[in-house]
Amino acid sequence: MTTRYLTWLLAIPAISALVVLLLPRGWEKTIKRFSIGAMLVELVISIRLILADYSDAGYHFVEHVAWVESFGISYKVGIDGLSLWLVILTTLLSPIALYASWGSITTRIKEYAFSFLLLELGMLGAFVALDLFLFYVFWELMLVPMYLIIGVWGGKDRVYAAVKFFLYTMVGSLLMLVAILYLVASYEKLAGHYSFDLQELSTLVLPALPQYLLFAAFALAFAIKVPMFPFHTWLPDAHVQAPTGGSVILAAVLLKLGIYGFIRFAMPLFPVASQAIGPVLAGLGVFGIIYGAYAAWVQRDLKKLVAYSSVSHMGFILLGLFAMNRNGISGAILQMINHGISTGALFLLVGVIYDRRHSRLLDDFGGLAKVMPWYTLFFVIITLSSIGLPGTNGFVGEFMILAGSFLSRTSIGFGSSWFIMTLLATTGVIFAAVYMLHAVLRIFWGKVVHTENEALTDLNRREVASLLPLIVMVFWIGLYPKFFLDKMNPAVDAFVTDFTVRYEEGLRTGEPRLVDFDKLTQGFDAPDGLALARPTNEEAQR
Amino acid sequence: MSALMGVSPLLLLVAAGLAIMLVDAFSDERTELALVTAASLFVVAGLAGVMLVGEVPATPEVVTRYLAVDRLGLFFDVVICVGAGLSALLAGGYLREHGLERGEFYVLIIFTAFGAMVLARAVDLLSIFLGLETMSLGAYALVAYRRTSARAVEGAVKYFLLGSFAAAILLFGSALLYGATGHTDLAGIQQVVAAGEADATLAVLALVMLIVGLAFKLGAVPFHMWVPDAYEGAVTPVTTFMSVGVKAAAVAVLVRVLVGGFGDPASMGLYTGWTPVILLLAVATMVYGNLAALAQTSVKRMLAYSSVAHAGYILVGLAAVHEVGSFAVSSVLYYIAAYTVSNVLAFGSLILMGSKGKEAVSYDDLAGAGRRHPMAAFPFAIGVLSLLGMPPTAGFFGKYYVFSAAVQAGGPMIWVAVIGVLASAVGAYYYLKVIVYLFMREPQEDQPIAVPMQSLYVTVALVLAGYYVVKMGVTPSRYLDWAVSAASSLVG
Repeated sequence: MTTRYLTWLLAIPAISALVVLLLPRGWEKTIKRFSIGAMLVELVISIRLILADYSDAGYHFVEHVAWVESFGISYKVGIDGLSLWLVILTTLLSPIALYASWGSITTRIKEYAFSFLLLELGMLGAFVALDLFLFYVFWELMLVPMYLIIGVWGGKDRVYAAVKFFLYTMVGSLLMLVAILYLVASYEKLAGHYSFDLQELSTLVLPALPQYLLFAAFALAFAIKVPMFPFHTWLPDAHVQAPTGGSVILAAVLLKLGIYGFIRFAMPLFPVASQAIGPVLAGLGVFGIIYGAYAAWVQRDLKKLVAYSSVSHMGFILLGLFAMNRNGISGAILQMINHGISTGALFLLVGVIYDRRHSRLLDDFGGLAKVMPWYTLFFVIITLSSIGLPGTNGFVGEFMILAGSFLSRTSIGFGSSWFIMTLLATTGVIFAAVYMLHAVLRIFWGKVVHTENEALTDLNRREVASLLPLIVMVFWIGLYPKFFLDKMNPAVDAFVTDFTVRYEEGLRTGEPRLVDFDKLTQGFDAPDGLALARPTNEEAQR
Repeated sequence: MSALMGVSPLLLLVAAGLAIMLVDAFSDERTELALVTAASLFVVAGLAGVMLVGEVPATPEVVTRYLAVDRLGLFFDVVICVGAGLSALLAGGYLREHGLERGEFYVLIIFTAFGAMVLARAVDLLSIFLGLETMSLGAYALVAYRRTSARAVEGAVKYFLLGSFAAAILLFGSALLYGATGHTDLAGIQQVVAAGEADATLAVLALVMLIVGLAFKLGAVPFHMWVPDAYEGAVTPVTTFMSVGVKAAAVAVLVRVLVGGFGDPASMGLYTGWTPVILLLAVATMVYGNLAALAQTSVKRMLAYSSVAHAGYILVGLAAVHEVGSFAVSSVLYYIAAYTVSNVLAFGSLILMGSKGKEAVSYDDLAGAGRRHPMAAFPFAIGVLSLLGMPPTAGFFGKYYVFSAAVQAGGPMIWVAVIGVLASAVGAYYYLKVIVYLFMREPQEDQPIAVPMQSLYVTVALVLAGYYVVKMGVTPSRYLDWAVSAASSLVG
């Protein structure tokens, strides 16, 4: 019997959260150390997951136990190349965010650690769940701790931001619940038994209209989480009000769950709808890229600037995702990791300055390069990664996405719009440089205008320790992305092939029916993993 | 199983009620009546539970043709007795703290629960009316229990007047139904109606009147007017009991009349039967209940409206019966069980938040309690999260179940489910408000602060309710099986 790594991955934060709850309030040091320790154990376990062989596309470390048998609800978890790095991202960022928080969070330590552990449980659970019910449970589960983190430890308007965050997400996910129920009910009519198992539900092919409606319900839940324009308005509020640790996790991991939901659930389950609506979502993504960049440019609050830059970056990911080819999707997944690292780090850096000056307004700074040289160095490196300078992680991801999106252009009909979208998205890269460098300029260069800034201390050990792993990742992914791409490529190829088969099967249907896709996929050879947007022969040869 | 065994929970409860009356009459005031009451209710619940799990024949037996001995009845025995028992425990802490303890309270609780159990087992129009009146009389008296309070008296009078009116409508409906079918027992009515031999006009009129009368007891919009006033005026343990035990009995009898009396396809059909009426009630109840709860400043009143809203979700499950039969009935059963423990947890925490002279009523009273008294605030948070339907709690599973029934029923029911989830998203706002005040606000300077009471009774009730809220959410299988087997005694 194999070791139940994934169950441990979920059990440790759950048990630790309970232990923290039982520890006496006064033992602050113990609570701090214990919670960080638990998260480091998580990191170690998750690193073990990398060692598996991902050259085949299937799920690994699968565990399957019936939960509520009469409804076909099961505890089924597993990971593949699509989710592996997202799990690692979660386990890496969680301890960093919590450790960084211990610098600024001074009240209700116990509840904070409890919320963070529960949050980690929810996020990991959502990434590894292969049962729709289980996924939904974890998806909702992470809502409460994040709500508390924003609402209890946040800034001045924290309650407003927390409630807005909660309600936005809740509305989306409740509609998704109805969609899940419909899916399961349709499956039951054909198969004769209930099942929430993703693999079983994947055999169901629905006619076009239900596909559109269900995809819309799923997409709404995920688009709010991403957040895609025009559902992004909760994000700046939540980010600005959340404490540093909360912002880091929100940007680095929670937003990724929206994209992950598209890849894992919405797209494969409803390929016809996804193929038809996908370009529209990609278009909204492109709009988000430019809108986010412009909005970031005019912000005077550094944290809000980073928040809007998130909207912009997530637009890239949507674009790559719906390009529906290997480059685009691999790029989107890689860019998720990149965004997690660089934006997570940016929020940490904003937290550093806020702790010292209790201000995040660009106007309050200037000339910090002289006062805080190390801080400046870190900030500039992360900035360059965020704007996608070659050699850093951002470049690889954005390049792959743009290449993927460009390759989608030649198909007929909507195809020509991909050309324009790619073009517009590329200008987004330039805008990113504009607003980020503009901010760097105002904060670090020039003379020290404000006398309060003269005595600021440089990074302390805690801050360096939490930033350093992220800096390492920036260059690792930037210089040797192969290590990461090799693990995910087989899964991405399989995803694209599978999607193509599903799409063609879906077009053929008038009535709901069950199809054994495993058989269909075998022997199907998508040219170079490029599925629907097939390139001309010339490009395929290259 | 002999008929005597079948009704033994009822007999045992009456015996306990009489004994408590005697004890109260002859003993000094320090007797722990709350404990005795709660213990007897739990024993009855346990007895019913053992019979439910054990060998009950799937086909219902009828005792003296008025009461059914079936799994459905036993299921409601358990739900009602657990609700009443937990309310009695809450009362044990609350009444003592506020100096209101008198023996008749517990006797009233027991006999009201008895009426509710009779109602839940009634399979004849006569026993329905008897059960209803037994239960209601007790409930009227309980609402007016704090007789020096104008609010309580106002609530009780409103409840009594409107309740009597509703009972009269119900009685009139029963008479018409007898005229239309020549039967007073539901099985007989079912036969005549299904065969199409009933006078159609009379039968429809009668059914509408029955639904109106029962919707009143359930507190469904637009027959909910008494709910906020009665719930707010009553002492909180009574409110708790009203919202769980009394409501459960109303659900039970509604299920029995609609599914047991008018369960043929034509009478249930989406376009030919009672389903659209129930759907309309459900939508109005969910939407209005949630919106009205949004506007409240008193937590108790908010919970009253929230209990109206929950009646709406229950009705959604009931409306799905025409398509998915026992699945829908068991979803209703599961929901009411989950709602019972969640609501006890929420009301119980509200009770715990106040102490003598300063009861916690409004949101402001809760401000900052999470910091001052985390152990009292924590169960409150769990309770409202369960009412809101957050996994992994009982409330989530209940909501999932009824909406699942609605979606499986298909057609327009899917859109009702969509309305339902959107309404419950509105609900999220006011439930979260409780958490906001508990954990994210500090009390205003000039306001008196509500100090939580110290009471073993209340603590025990909260621990029990909290345990089941989590248990029914994390490992729901066993309770599902019970609900399914209970539903199977009504619909195959």
